[in-house]
Amino acid sequence: MQGTIKNREAFLGDIANQLGRERVTHVKRPKWTYNPQEEVLKGATKDELLEVLKLQCTKVHTKLVLTTKEELPEILANSVEAVGGGPIVTWKDKRFEEFGLGKLLKEDLPKADVEVFEWNSALGKDNIVKAEKANVGITISEITLAESGTVVLYSSKDRGRTISFLPTNSIVIVPKSTIVPRMTQAAKILREKIKNGEQVPSCINYITGPSNSADIELNLVVGVHGPVKMNYIVVEDL
Amino acid sequence: MSMKTSSEKFKVRVKNQIQDSFMRGAVASAQETIQGRKQTVTDELGNWEEWRNHGEEIRKHVLENLDYYLYVLSENVAKRGGHVFFAKTAEEAGQYITDIAKKNQAKKVVKAKSMVTEEISLNEKLEAIGCEVIETDLGEYILQLDDHDPPSHIVVPALHKNKEQIRDVFAEKLDYKNTEKPEELALFARQTLRQDYLTADLGITGCNFAVAETGSITLVTNEGNADLVAALPKTQVVVMGMERIVPTFEEMEVLVGMLTRSAVGQKLTSYITTLTGPRDEGDVDGPEEFHLVIVDNGRSNILGTEFQSALQCIRCAACINVCPVYRHVGGHSYGSIYPGPIGVVLTPLLGGYDDYKELPYASTLCSACTDACPVKIPLHELILKHRQVIVEKEGKAPFSEKILMKTIGMGTSSPTLYKMASKMAPALTKPLSTDDHITKGVGLLKEWTDIRDLPAPNKERFRDWFKNRPKGGKE
Amino acid sequence: MKVTLFATCLVDMFKSDVGKATVELLERLGCEIDFPESQVCCGQPTYNSGYVEEAKPAMKQMIDTFQHAEYVVSPSGSCAYMFHEYQHIFKDDPVYGPKAQELAAKTYELTEFIVDVLKIEDVGATFPGKVTYHTSCHMTRLLGVREAPITLLKNVKGLEYIELPGKENCCGFGGTFSVKMGQISEQMVNEKVQHVEETGADYLIGADASCLMNIGGRITRQGKPIKVMHIAEVLNSRA
Repeated sequence: MQGTIKNREAFLGDIANQLGRERVTHVKRPKWTYNPQEEVLKGATKDELLEVLKLQCTKVHTKLVLTTKEELPEILANSVEAVGGGPIVTWKDKRFEEFGLGKLLKEDLPKADVEVFEWNSALGKDNIVKAEKANVGITISEITLAESGTVVLYSSKDRGRTISFLPTNSIVIVPKSTIVPRMTQAAKILREKIKNGEQVPSCINYITGPSNSADIELNLVVGVHGPVKMNYIVVEDL
Repeated sequence: MSMKTSSEKFKVRVKNQIQDSFMRGAVASAQETIQGRKQTVTDELGNWEEWRNHGEEIRKHVLENLDYYLYVLSENVAKRGGHVFFAKTAEEAGQYITDIAKKNQAKKVVKAKSMVTEEISLNEKLEAIGCEVIETDLGEYILQLDDHDPPSHIVVPALHKNKEQIRDVFAEKLDYKNTEKPEELALFARQTLRQDYLTADLGITGCNFAVAETGSITLVTNEGNADLVAALPKTQVVVMGMERIVPTFEEMEVLVGMLTRSAVGQKLTSYITTLTGPRDEGDVDGPEEFHLVIVDNGRSNILGTEFQSALQCIRCAACINVCPVYRHVGGHSYGSIYPGPIGVVLTPLLGGYDDYKELPYASTLCSACTDACPVKIPLHELILKHRQVIVEKEGKAPFSEKILMKTIGMGTSSPTLYKMASKMAPALTKPLSTDDHITKGVGLLKEWTDIRDLPAPNKERFRDWFKNRPKGGKE
Repeated sequence: MKVTLFATCLVDMFKSDVGKATVELLERLGCEIDFPESQVCCGQPTYNSGYVEEAKPAMKQMIDTFQHAEYVVSPSGSCAYMFHEYQHIFKDDPVYGPKAQELAAKTYELTEFIVDVLKIEDVGATFPGKVTYHTSCHMTRLLGVREAPITLLKNVKGLEYIELPGKENCCGFGGTFSVKMGQISEQMVNEKVQHVEETGADYLIGADASCLMNIGGRITRQGKPIKVMHIAEVLNSRA
């Protein structure tokens, strides 16, 4: 569906006028003179990046746990318990099954009376009600930025945006293979997708730790509108 | 509110603000804290100058090609089903947005922090058609509750309020019963606002950076409020100053990181979000209807002038955080939602000189701001340019000052006149002096001598000593 | 080494001791000093108030006065910086543009000249006392001279150097700002004086007479026992 554009020609005409020239219809993206962002953590190995990520998490109120695919179900269950248990909401994502979490999420937890709700686009607003009542939201990081301790999440009809914001606590599963130095690499990855004809997700979240504010006397308060606690579970062999 | 926040005279505002000891302590302490954090997090990079150069080249390039990038942005937003409205004036923007509210029968509006929406008095316009407008940024929420107290800083708007004052506002307006501890105040705001997000009809955000290549807008927060404002209501309106745009995600990420480091000393804030159009087919959250309102409101008049670099601003407040004048007079003294050095530069450009003619003189041109700016806006030079414009083009300088400056200009260009005047000076100022100091100045000098002594002119000028001493000056 | 002295109007009229100290110091360091009498004022007060056209005659006067010089040295960071600004102010002037560029290339602030040109870091001075130093905005951020004055001070015999908290903060002078915006200037100079007091120093030193007049004027009005001196006077002190 095409959106509308109003009042553009006069508006842009004024700009060109002020700049003392005709409208420009094509501009090549310049080869920039400076590229300091390329130097950050240049050449670092995944292990080195993991160490950077670990350290950074301690600075952004985020608990990071390192585990393997085999131990992941247990670690996830422990993490959920550590923040007070369910109800849980998760994305609908085949990777949960691929990561070996199918049984935990679909059988073990429900059997232990922990509600696990999987995002279901057919249920519309009910999803949001569930997210609002949830104690834990579980998502999977697409790209993980070592320098800042950031996870990157793409939205879709099966991966609701609000799972990262409404539940009280957030747990993100981070495959070690997704770790890159910083947003520079994430930007390149996304532009590559666009070049290959893929559509940019309508919402991309770069999330670093829990929500916070320093609006009151510059005093940092953790846990404002978004989640109050953040956990990353880094899986070494994924 | 609009850009203008006060109808009191400048000198009166300054006098009152100087007496607000809480504000002054808070501002001084905030400057020290944020400066320190910015220093740490930019030192870590090891080559901050290179980053500044890169930031500058990106912003300069975009401004020089602004019509092109806005064109591409609008095409790409529309391709994804978003609606784009180019608003030349504040009125046009307000009209378009209130029309959307009416069309959607919106009763409750939630907002994330946006300076440009304050500039165009958006809240008042929505309230005038019967909408309830709720600011969700904690600082803005506090100020809104407190009878629309204007912001005093562009990043930490409620800096001038202490926690006791905030507790009292919550108690009076929301029946808050807990203590002044920030954690409790914030938790209360979280609980109260949560319901507002879920029941709002319309969400309004600003835009830190629009990305032309993908038709995306970028939001930068620590609280997560902008994300809820964008994800829950059925209709979303994004309001952006027309210059807040970059070519691709690659430039966006450079500038976002520089913004967060400069503004709050963080590598990244908790939530950086790019939104591209309304929700996709089948999505459950995200807006069904998405509008991008691109606002000019006087910005195009700055293009093609000596002030063009002012539009490079990424609204990080680094200049505000180092300004010695701001430290002592606080944000409200400027009478504008944009305080500090960037406020001094931008406000007269957007609002004219009549209401803001003192601002360019509220500076010692110390250039701490120019040094601090991540995108290298020559702020102190632009402040001086305003003075030149006021004197030459606007003809708004006080008559007595013009005469004085003309006289000084003449006197200092003529060695003969100068020699005469400087020889007479000691005798002329003797009546005003005590010992070697002038303690009671007249006219302009009185401002000086009210708080300082002034050395009396030396009886023997340096040039006379030099002329009269034995050649070579050997002892 | 032939040095042409740019004394500055403030020094000439109000602080001739600073001029004397500058001359004596440079002569002792091996320079031959000349002082062209046609120099008056660099034009800062008018220029910084926005009166460009009114300031230009004085500036041209200065450019002509120092045309013959090999080295132009000034005991004022802001005035030396003004000479560097001329090349931008006259950039469209076919006559004064090139002249201004020549002038900028040979103009130095005093401590900058001693350290960077004469290559001297110890001038052989003696000045016992606890000393703190205010860096002056123009000299620091605009002229870029940060190290030279501190290096020279630290090599003075008997001098105990204590770093001033907020040493790069503006003192609140800003030319006409000090009288046009008196209320704000007062707060800024008070903060500066407070910082000076915190160091426990007996002397406040600076390299710009305008800052020193501002801070010093406040100190004497407040009756505080801190002595304010120009760095030239300290560097010219002998046992």
